[in-house]
Amino acid sequence: MNKVSFGDTVRRAEDHRFLTGKGNYIDDITMPGQAHGVVVRSPYAHARINGFDADAARRAPGVLLVVTGADWAAQGFGPIPTKSAVKENRDGTPIAVPDRPCLAHDRVRYVGEGVAFIVAETRDQARDAAELLDVDYAPMDAVTHPVKALEPGAPQLHDGIADNLCVDWELGDAEATEAAMRAADRIVRLELHNNRVTGAPIEPRGAIASYDAGTDSYLMYQATQNIHANRNTTAEILGIEADKIRHVGPDVGGGFGAKNSVYPEPALVLHAAKTLNRPVKWVNDRAESFLSDTHGRSQYSTVELGVDDDGTFRALRTTTVGELGAYCGTVGAFTPTGGSARTQGGPYGFEAMYYSARAGFTNTAPLDPYRGAGRPEGSFQIERIVEKAARELGIDPVELRRKNLIPKERLPLKTAMGLDVDCGDFPTVFEQALAMTDRVGFQARKAASEAAGKRLGFAIAPYLECTGGMPKEHAVVTFTADGSAHLAVGSQSTGMGHETALPQILAATLGLDMARIGFTQADTDATPLGGGHGGSRGMEMGGNAVLQTAGEIIEKGRAIAAHLFETDVDKIDFEDGSFFEKDTNHIASMTEIIAASFDPERLPDGMEPGSLNTGSTFERGIISIPNGCHAAEVEVDPDTGAIAVTGFWVVDDFGTIINPMLADGQVMGGVGQGLGQALMENAVYDEASGQLVTGSLIDYALPRADDMPPMTLEYYEGAPTKKNPLGVKGAGEAGCCGAPPAIVNAVLDALDGLGVTHIEMPLTPEAVWRAIDAAGS
Amino acid sequence: MPSISMTVNGQAVTGEVEGRTLLVEFLRDTLGLTGTHVGCDTSQCGACVIHLDGVSVKSCAVLALNADGAEVLTIEGVADGDDLHPMQEAFREHHGLQCGFCTPGMVLTALALVADNPDPTDAEVRHGLEGNLCRCTGYQNIVHAILDGAKRMRG
Repeated sequence: MNKVSFGDTVRRAEDHRFLTGKGNYIDDITMPGQAHGVVVRSPYAHARINGFDADAARRAPGVLLVVTGADWAAQGFGPIPTKSAVKENRDGTPIAVPDRPCLAHDRVRYVGEGVAFIVAETRDQARDAAELLDVDYAPMDAVTHPVKALEPGAPQLHDGIADNLCVDWELGDAEATEAAMRAADRIVRLELHNNRVTGAPIEPRGAIASYDAGTDSYLMYQATQNIHANRNTTAEILGIEADKIRHVGPDVGGGFGAKNSVYPEPALVLHAAKTLNRPVKWVNDRAESFLSDTHGRSQYSTVELGVDDDGTFRALRTTTVGELGAYCGTVGAFTPTGGSARTQGGPYGFEAMYYSARAGFTNTAPLDPYRGAGRPEGSFQIERIVEKAARELGIDPVELRRKNLIPKERLPLKTAMGLDVDCGDFPTVFEQALAMTDRVGFQARKAASEAAGKRLGFAIAPYLECTGGMPKEHAVVTFTADGSAHLAVGSQSTGMGHETALPQILAATLGLDMARIGFTQADTDATPLGGGHGGSRGMEMGGNAVLQTAGEIIEKGRAIAAHLFETDVDKIDFEDGSFFEKDTNHIASMTEIIAASFDPERLPDGMEPGSLNTGSTFERGIISIPNGCHAAEVEVDPDTGAIAVTGFWVVDDFGTIINPMLADGQVMGGVGQGLGQALMENAVYDEASGQLVTGSLIDYALPRADDMPPMTLEYYEGAPTKKNPLGVKGAGEAGCCGAPPAIVNAVLDALDGLGVTHIEMPLTPEAVWRAIDAAGS
Repeated sequence: MPSISMTVNGQAVTGEVEGRTLLVEFLRDTLGLTGTHVGCDTSQCGACVIHLDGVSVKSCAVLALNADGAEVLTIEGVADGDDLHPMQEAFREHHGLQCGFCTPGMVLTALALVADNPDPTDAEVRHGLEGNLCRCTGYQNIVHAILDGAKRMRG
């Protein structure tokens, strides 16, 4: 019996499969008779399409189907809907949502936008035919810069949408913030750019689908992180009933938000499978991934901090220009508005806060959530302005932060942004992190670094974020008479380890053998609803759905046990995997109760065999508040601008930790992506041509093993949230919130005295060298 | 189409390929060995690393024709039946994988690295992974896994 508890490091069930090459990723799936589709993508950032000539492509060897944008439009399918939670501008008018077709037919608005879908017997044949499709483009002026796109005279992307503006939005009390700013001894200002990046999961997106004419239904596998919502939205586009599509997520090779959105391709694959009445597979290559995956971040902001000379924070005001790309993504309008506003100010106290954002359309790939989706932007804004304030005030940045952290006694509170911060202990977490960093030895290390011609820097960055994603989640547990169980959930791992952590919750709660719990996720046939993954919801939603379902199973088990013991239900207790009657020797293990649940002779009236099987929907009340503190030590070579991150320390308050090994993995992976954004990742469009110049892994720098520092992690477990029964707060996105400001501020600390007060991310050696050079000249 | 023969994971195989067929396509599409993955198109990610005549190579950068007559090891040939290789065990023990997509390439790179350098340092392992991208782990647990895998292999 493999007995487990909450808090145990349980090694992963999925690893044997992944380590032996038996993982089942999208391109590993083969359906009999499958054909291969490729998307023909626009080479222009902005152009009118005068027409298509598909004759040569249709005649190419092996070609089965060519669907041009014009063909698609003629079918009358719907646009790709947007589902942003922010639907109105500050004046109450609706945000501007242009139609986004699955294939463009009269105009393309970004490089990589699909204009045709070609299906052939083999992938190479489809690619060859794509070369033969003649699209008559008339290039137009493009705009790829989010600020310039909103300026008068900018090229206009959408007829009927003035000034490329999608949304104009605010949150907080502008007047109170202005009054607090005026009352403060000084206002510290900083303009900063949160650079545009992309999730870049190592597995590209793809889908394979079959159509059954007899039932007019589809089976689709997709490398996505949101099976139910994407199924429903894709059905909406095609004008079919959602339950005609069984949508399954196989093993998915990373997501990070980039596989959360609803994309055009699945609708094309379903349409082609039906049209040809044979399975159709489409898988992007890496170049297409860069062009057509959603990107994230991209905000130009002005941050103002009203602060007294003694370092007391009074007010915070952030004015942001965000970016949607060529169209509204699935929830794209939310990220630079509500998504960035709600955690403004981090874990610090303010009299007033105000957030104002405009976001518009550019001739670039659509933007949608990327790991953190607004919270990393907010965390970067507050931590950069605090660091700048410390320099201007001449106060130690550590002391300035310590002075302004919200004390534990003030919790719970609602922030000026309306965020419900229920629990936590920010000062304790801060001191815990600081104690890990060996500040005592810092001066000696700094001296040694300087002796070698380099400069050492340190920064500490507390963060406060929140969870999100779909507020409902479903779990189903089914048993067999031999005592084994099967768990199905609508939440989804794209690498996080739910196949281990969720059975761990079930096993720990019911006292079952983990080795005898099967697992299914991401299958619309397995659960009636599911929220997939996004907003660090895996434990908060999936975990609590499993716990709730287990609780209902225990209640049914008590009824069975009472019947077996010939006593009343209220005399039955459940503990440590067994039902027992108080003050008697009557005891039955969960395994025995499972066996009894299949035996009509041993069941109470009204319970049918198999009725221990339970499905339950957990509904979240209020999102939880993960928080913590990151610290970084960096060494800068002032001659080259090269940065080495030499130390990294993290304390996280994720509430209850179910499996610390998996939590560590989430933190370290998030730090990796945060470091990537801070130091090297940048999605760059050429402003003149609108071409993505970082369109390959040669040009878009992902962190490699020797870019990463040693990371030391601890948890603060003194504040499990009462917002959900497990007490969990969400672990997935925290790393992206803490790492960028910790690293950037540490670099600026290393350059202290050189006159460099700000460098925009990514802090490449060139950017650092130029900043030093400019400050010195 | 030309016919090629090679030994893959100890078994003799033959197949027909086009001149442009990549070794990774031959392994995946012709032989059905889908453990070798394709994550990019510029030989950057390393998800397709295999051993070709004992040397770790990116199978997306080798034409199948060029592997005619070669000895190939893929991830499917690393374990002994259901028993994981010590390096695979170390990856599992140290949580050196999350989504698993880069993992086959990581394991085969690690095995080649340790064959060259049975007792590597942390820095040598990190340098040795310069051709392999992982987007999930931040690499620390991969490095720990390879150090421990090397130790297990030294016995």
